[in-house]
Amino acid sequence: MSKPLLEIKDLHVAIDGTEILHGIDLTINAGEVHAIMGTNGSGKSTLTKAIAGHPDYTVTSGDIVYEGKSILEAEPEDRACAGIFLAFQYPVEIPGVSNMYFLRAALNAQRKARGEAEASGAEFLALIKEKAKLMDIDAGLLNRSVNEGFSGGEKKRNEILQLAVLAPTLAVLDETDSGLDIDALKTVATGVNSLRSPERSFLLVTHYQRLLNHIQPDFVHVLLDGRIAKSGGKELALELEDKGYAWLEQTV
Amino acid sequence: MTTQTHNSLQLAIDGFTPQSAEPAWLSELRQDAADSFAALDVPTIRHEDWRYTNLKPLLALKLAAAAPARITPDDLKPWLIEGADEIRLVFVNGFYDSTLSRIPALPQGVLIAPISQLLGEEEGLPSKLARYADHHAQPFTALNTALFTDGAYIRAGQNAVLETPVHVLYVSTGGQINAPRTLVLAGEHAGLRLVESFVGLSGDVRFVNTVSEVMLAAGANVRHAKLLRDTAATHIGWNEVRQDRDSTYTHHSISLDAQLARHNVNVMLAGEGATCTLNGLVLGNDTQHIDNHLIMDHMRPRCTSNQLYRSVVDGKSHSVFSGKVIVRPGAAGTDAKQQNNNLLLSDDARAETKPQLEIYCDEVKCAHGATSGQLDPDAVFFLRSRGLDTRQARNLLTYAFANDVVEHIKMDAVRQHLEEVMHERFHGLLGE
Repeated sequence: MSKPLLEIKDLHVAIDGTEILHGIDLTINAGEVHAIMGTNGSGKSTLTKAIAGHPDYTVTSGDIVYEGKSILEAEPEDRACAGIFLAFQYPVEIPGVSNMYFLRAALNAQRKARGEAEASGAEFLALIKEKAKLMDIDAGLLNRSVNEGFSGGEKKRNEILQLAVLAPTLAVLDETDSGLDIDALKTVATGVNSLRSPERSFLLVTHYQRLLNHIQPDFVHVLLDGRIAKSGGKELALELEDKGYAWLEQTV
Repeated sequence: MTTQTHNSLQLAIDGFTPQSAEPAWLSELRQDAADSFAALDVPTIRHEDWRYTNLKPLLALKLAAAAPARITPDDLKPWLIEGADEIRLVFVNGFYDSTLSRIPALPQGVLIAPISQLLGEEEGLPSKLARYADHHAQPFTALNTALFTDGAYIRAGQNAVLETPVHVLYVSTGGQINAPRTLVLAGEHAGLRLVESFVGLSGDVRFVNTVSEVMLAAGANVRHAKLLRDTAATHIGWNEVRQDRDSTYTHHSISLDAQLARHNVNVMLAGEGATCTLNGLVLGNDTQHIDNHLIMDHMRPRCTSNQLYRSVVDGKSHSVFSGKVIVRPGAAGTDAKQQNNNLLLSDDARAETKPQLEIYCDEVKCAHGATSGQLDPDAVFFLRSRGLDTRQARNLLTYAFANDVVEHIKMDAVRQHLEEVMHERFHGLLGE
């Protein structure tokens, strides 16, 4: 548990010329689960987009080092193929592309980029069946267009399904818990927990402590106005739930 | 009052002689059409219906008269549709090719043959041909009526149902003016499936002027796909449809390639409770120009119509959609929907959209909408974040946009064929 997988160093990120993140330092080792908590507008989503390489988010200074190499120049697809996965807060609907087709295209694009053999139809089918069962996703949803007409819970479960199929090394979950009822939250948490391994790290971004009752983090960081205001163990989340974000705003 | 001289087109009429002796009724029909053509103006862009489609280049073309040509089965292969070629009629430059055609034993009441073999009285062609395609009003209908060499005749009598699709291939081989003609008659409660493929075998600039007439008696059901795949063609097609009571007509117009194309689809919902679906897809690139011009005429009560047309324009290509829904007085309970969506893939591509409603009746439901735009950058990023590169992501989204039209085709072989064609065009995403 000591090899750094992701090192974020004094990261400054701007959108349309406005700086949102003002120097983030964060190191995630292999196998660790980190939670980032914070209010709306604190920069949580910006951090996830910067890690995934969204073209609208400009890194103005600092670095993001993944597996020992800076990824600032890497395209989003290169980051994905290297094992970085972002579960979106608002999953995009893609009418006309079936979930199955999309997942297979994504899996094979990644395998191809890594020089691995592409999944055959039968191999893919077996994989998807297993993972869909894990996420309580029925065949109907697999054959429908990606996220089109899905409920909020279905969209989020579908994100975790993609996570399960693509099996990344670093999974970044952007408010996957928001808008979920307790049953959907438990399903998502069960899925995530089953994917935890000594080689796979998670960065969970959340507004609420609730998620962390079901997915136990190793570390909790509180983001406030584009900076990490406090870091600690999982007890920090409880303290935050108890005292509220205002408590931190006063102490900083 | 000719505002544009007819040039090559008038010359084609003046020089026309039929391949073999024709019955008097047909000679008279041709003469009447030729006279109409001489009297009608070839429309210019000052004509509202032709505002976005300029025919000047067509009039300047040097076009040879249609002439038969031999083609091989290999020439035909790329255009065949696996699963939809059991019954096929092949016309080369508008002339029937019996060696490449296949007409197996057909159910009782069904007749499929080239029009040229039915010019006698027994099929009643004099009263059926040119019944709804009005050559007195439309110069290109007049031109086709004066010049047509041959074409497919497909008839299903009362209660006759032919589930196997009929594939009619109109092949053009040279720089000619080709005028094929299709006549489809579906009797009461009859059922037919038809695919018309307009394909080109050479790069010679040509003009294909086609007229299809489709008549549906009460309760009849016709599914009709039109595939345009001729990069060298100026293609002007008229598809005239008349629907009687409770009939169902579904039309899919798929423009994969053409230099310039104008598809006119005119539907008369002439019987109560008829249902019509018109779907269209345009895939434009380079300097291609594709114009879809629809008129949906709700003449009687409680008819349902649905139009979905999409265009994908790349390069300097240009698409036009003009769709008019008319609801006549007394056509109560009309339910008409119209949707046109355009996807622009390049800065130089253009899409015009002109939805129109003319409603002369209360108690109707009419909805229409049009969108034009580029690929959603959030969707592109989403796909890239899953490992697809920018090109794959854009291709997949474009495929999805286009497939929304194709997936509605309820002729499995045709749908699968088009899906394959689109996969190929959008770079085979699955790597298979």
